[in-house]
Amino acid sequence: MKRALALVICAVTLATASVAFTQSFGVQLFGPKGPRQPINFSHQLHAGKLGMRCVYCHSAAEKSPIANLPAMSTCMGCHKIAKADMPEIVKLTGYFERNEQVPWVEVYVLPSHVKFNHKRHVKAGIQCQDCHGPVQTMPVVYQYPSLKMGWCVSCHRQRLNDAQHPATMDCIACHH
Amino acid sequence: MPHYDFARARCVVSFGADFLETWIAPVAYARGFAAMRARRDGSGQFIVVEPRLSLTGANADEWIAIRPGAEAALALGMARVILTEGLGSGERGALMEAVSAWTPEAVQQATDVPADAVRRLARRFAAAKPGLAVAGGIAAQSEQSVAVISAVNLLNAAAGNIGETVRFDRTYDVEGVGSFGDVQRLIADMAAGKVQALVVRDANPAYAVPAWAGFAAAMDKVPFKISLSSVLDETADRCDLILPATHPLESLGDSRGVRGVYGIVQPAMKPLPMFQTRATGDTLIAIAKAAGFGAKLPATWIEYLKAQWKPLHQRFGAGRDFDTFWNETLQKGGVWEDVAATPVRWTGTPAFVTPELKGAGDLALILYPTSQLHDGRGANKPWLQELPDPTTKAVWGSWAEIHPDTAKRLGVAEGDAVRIETEAGAIEVPAYLYGGIRPDAVAVPLGQGHTAYGRSAKGRGVNAATLLPPAQDGASGAVAYLCAKAKVTKAARAIDLAMTQREKNQFDREIAQSVPLASLLAGAAVAAGAGAAATAAAGEAHAGPEPLPSQTRPGHYTSPLAMPPDYKKPAHAVSAYEPELRARGPRNVPVDQGSYAHAQHRWAMAIDLDRCTGCSACVVACSAENNVPSVGPEMVKRGREMLWIRVERFEQAVGGGKSDVRFVPMMCQQCGDAPCETVCPVYATYHNPEGLNAQVYNRCVGTRYCSNNCPYKVRAFNFFDYAAPEKPTFAFPEPLNWQLNPDVTVRSKGVMEKCTFCIQRILEGKGNAKDEARAVRDGEIQSACAQSCPTQAIVFGDLLDPESRVAKLSHGERRYWVLNELNTKPGVTYLKRVERETTTA
Repeated sequence: MKRALALVICAVTLATASVAFTQSFGVQLFGPKGPRQPINFSHQLHAGKLGMRCVYCHSAAEKSPIANLPAMSTCMGCHKIAKADMPEIVKLTGYFERNEQVPWVEVYVLPSHVKFNHKRHVKAGIQCQDCHGPVQTMPVVYQYPSLKMGWCVSCHRQRLNDAQHPATMDCIACHH
Repeated sequence: MPHYDFARARCVVSFGADFLETWIAPVAYARGFAAMRARRDGSGQFIVVEPRLSLTGANADEWIAIRPGAEAALALGMARVILTEGLGSGERGALMEAVSAWTPEAVQQATDVPADAVRRLARRFAAAKPGLAVAGGIAAQSEQSVAVISAVNLLNAAAGNIGETVRFDRTYDVEGVGSFGDVQRLIADMAAGKVQALVVRDANPAYAVPAWAGFAAAMDKVPFKISLSSVLDETADRCDLILPATHPLESLGDSRGVRGVYGIVQPAMKPLPMFQTRATGDTLIAIAKAAGFGAKLPATWIEYLKAQWKPLHQRFGAGRDFDTFWNETLQKGGVWEDVAATPVRWTGTPAFVTPELKGAGDLALILYPTSQLHDGRGANKPWLQELPDPTTKAVWGSWAEIHPDTAKRLGVAEGDAVRIETEAGAIEVPAYLYGGIRPDAVAVPLGQGHTAYGRSAKGRGVNAATLLPPAQDGASGAVAYLCAKAKVTKAARAIDLAMTQREKNQFDREIAQSVPLASLLAGAAVAAGAGAAATAAAGEAHAGPEPLPSQTRPGHYTSPLAMPPDYKKPAHAVSAYEPELRARGPRNVPVDQGSYAHAQHRWAMAIDLDRCTGCSACVVACSAENNVPSVGPEMVKRGREMLWIRVERFEQAVGGGKSDVRFVPMMCQQCGDAPCETVCPVYATYHNPEGLNAQVYNRCVGTRYCSNNCPYKVRAFNFFDYAAPEKPTFAFPEPLNWQLNPDVTVRSKGVMEKCTFCIQRILEGKGNAKDEARAVRDGEIQSACAQSCPTQAIVFGDLLDPESRVAKLSHGERRYWVLNELNTKPGVTYLKRVERETTTA
C-alpha cells in the first residue's frame, strides 16, 4: 500500500514537473507543436496548398542577413478582398487599421553570440526546407532543427570542399 | 570669414588656433593639413604660437610658448620684418604704418619671444610662398580678440597670402550667427521683464553663458519658457514646457555654411516612435497656427522648406519640374555653383595693447574647450566622457594643467588637488603636471560641472567658466576667456583623476618611431641607429615581392632556430622555436592544407604616424561600431577600461621651443605569431585563415591568460555584466540600447574581448563581392577606425593583393612594427613620423 502511494506521488510530481518544464519554454504539451500565434496563420495553406514561394513574403531572405516577417501591406495585398470576413483576417485587418504590428511569437531564436546570415545560405543554393523542415506541411510552424552548433557544423563539414560554395569552418564567421 | 586652404600652404603658423580640435571646421582642416604634411618637397612646416601646447600644437614642429594674450605683438612684429626686408609679395606702404612700432626688440619685450626668433620666424614664413597664419583659440578670446585676428590678417597680407591660402571665394556664411551682444541684450530684456515668452532650441545658455552675464537668473523672470531640447539640460530644466525636437539624425533641414553651396540635411532614419518627438519646424508652425498668427504658413515643415527652395529651383532647376529637382538635390546632398572671390582690401587694424589680466593671482588662467566635450555639449555622452583626453589621457573629469616647475614651487605633486581662485570664484581640481604649458599659466578644460544634462554629465568635474570675471572684447563684445589671473594653492582634500595613460614617456622602447625628413628626401632607406627598426629595416633594401612577416602563415615560413647538429628534440618538448605545422585551434588544421593553405586574404592595417593628429575620432568610431561599453571613472582608475583602440601619447621633447609629441593608435595587432593564442586553454582565441586573431566569446571561460601574455595590452576583460539589462552595471540603459550594432555580440561577464578588425564589415564586404561574382575591391572594406580618420592615417586592406594601398604602404620605406623584437609578426604596420627641420631660416 505504502509502495503504491509512493509511486503515485512520484508519478504526479514527475508529471507536474514536466508540464511546468515544457511550459516554461512556451511549448504546449497537448495540441500542435510550436508556439501559439496571435493570428492563426497556416503555412500549410499558404506555402503548401496555395503553393506560394517562401520569398514572396520573406523577401529579404535572398538579400539580407535577416529573413524578414512580411510587412502587413503584403498580407493586405490579398486579404483586403480575399476571405476578408473570416475571423482571423478580421483580426489582421484590425492590426492593420490601428497601424499596429502583429505581435508574432518568434519560433527560431538564436542566442546573441551567434550571427546567422540568410543571404549567404540562400545564395549557396540551400533550400529553406533544408533547415526549416517541411514548412509547407505545418499548420503551426515549430522549431524543426535543434539549432545546436553541432547541427550547423555537420552540414558545414560536409560542404567544406564544395567546388562552388565551400562552407567555412572558421569560428568567427558566426561568432563575432 | 575667409576660407583657409591648409593643403596649399607651405608653412603654417597658428596663433592659438586649434584647427585640429574645435576651430571652425576641424575635419576639413585636418584633411588639408595632412595633405600639406604629406608633400615631400621640404615644405609643410607647422609652427604653433600658444602659451599652452594644445592637441593641435602637439602636431607642430616648433612651439613658441608666448606670453598669454600677446600673440598680436608677434604677428605684427613678423609682419614688420617681412615688410622692412621686402620679403613679401603683398602691398607695403599702408601696412608699414600699422606695424612700425613693433620692432623685434619691442616684440621680445611684450611676448618673451627672442628678437632673433621673431626675425627667423618672419623669414621662414615669408619664404614659404604661400604660407598661412591663423588666429583662434585662446589667442582670439582675450579682451583684444579683434586686434589679434586683424594683426594676423595683416601678417598674411604682408606675406602675400591673401587669395592664395586665405581665400575669399568659398567664404563662411556668418550672417545668421548671433553675437554675444545679442545674448546680452536678451538677458537685459529678460531681467527687465520685457520678455513674456522664451523659446530655446539647440542651445544650453543656462550652462554655456558665463555666470557673470546672469543668464539663468534673468531667464527665471520670464513667465513662460518653452524648450525644444531633446535632452534635459540646464536650460530645459528651467523651462515650463518641453516639446522635444527630433534628433539631428532624424531631422530634415538645409544649411548654407559656405558661399555658393546650398546643402540639404536629409534625415538618416525615421524618428524613433517611443520618444514622441517632433521636428522643430513642425512644432513652431503648430504653435503659430494655434496662437492665431500662422494662417499664411504651410501645414508642415517639409512644405515650408520646399517653398524656401523655390528660388533655388529657378536658378538650378534647368527646366526640370520642382519634384524632380528636389529629389535629385536630396540624393546629391545639395546644389552648388562656382563663386568669384570677393575683392578684399586692407582698411586698417585696431591698435593692439597687451590685455591686462585681472586679479591678484600670479598665474594666467587659460580656459579651453576640449575636442571631446567642446563647450559642454558633449558631456552627456558616455562615449565622449570615456574618450581619453588627447593631451592628458584623463577621462570623466576636470583637471588643471600646471608646469612641473610651478608645481614644485607650490608644493603640488601629480594627483594632488589644487584650489584655483579668481575674483569671480574658486574651484578645486586635481593637478596634472604638463611640460607643455608656460610656468606662469594654469589651464583648465571647459565642459564639465553640469548640474543637469543626464546621468553621464551631472556632477562630473567642475565648471571652470565660473572662474571668469566679467570681461569682453572691446570691438566685438565676445566673451573673453583669457582675462584673469588665478591664485593656485594646494587644496586640503585629494581628488583622484581617472586616466588611461599616466606615463607619457616611451623610454627606450621605441614604440613611436620617427625619421628625419632629410634622410627621406635623400632617398636613404632608414637613418642609421634607429634602434629596433634596424632589424625591421633588414629587408627594406629589396622591399616588394618578399612577403611581410605577418604574411607568413604559422609554421610555413618560420625558419627553425639553428640547433647543434647532435640536438635531439625531447618527445614532450613544446617550444616557440619549433615551427608549428598545425594551426593551433580546435581542429588542428595542418597549415599546408585546407582553408589555411588556400586563404584568399591577409587582412592588415597600415598606420601613418605622420598623418595621425591624435584626435581620437577612431576611438569613438570603434566604440560605436563594436558595442564597446563605457565603464565609468572608478573602473578606469583600476585599469579596466574596455576600449578596443587607444591613441597612445608619447612626449618625446616638449618645451624649449620643441614640440615632439607622437601619437600611436594602438589596437590588436593581429599578430602572425600571436602570444595570446598559445596560452588559451580552450582555444577561444585562435588564428583564422585570413590572419586574424579571432576571439570567440562563447568559448571564452575568462582565464585572462591571453591578456596577460599580450605585449600590446589591447585586450579588455568584462569584469562586470555590461550586457545584462537587469544588472546595475548595464552599460546601455535606455535609450543607449538603441545605439547597439546588431551585427556585433554584446559581450557578457567573464569574457575577454578585443579588436576584430571589424570582422562584421569584412564578412559583409566579402559577401557583397561574392554576390557580384568578383574579387573584393581595395578600399571596399573599411574598419570603423579607418573610415572615421579625418587624415586617413589608418588604411585597412588585404596584403595578398599587391596593388592594395595597405600592401604598398606596408612595403614603404618608413615602415616598422611595434615591439618587433618579440617576433610577433604584427598585421599592423606603422609608418614612422617624419621629423622636420626646425632651425632653418
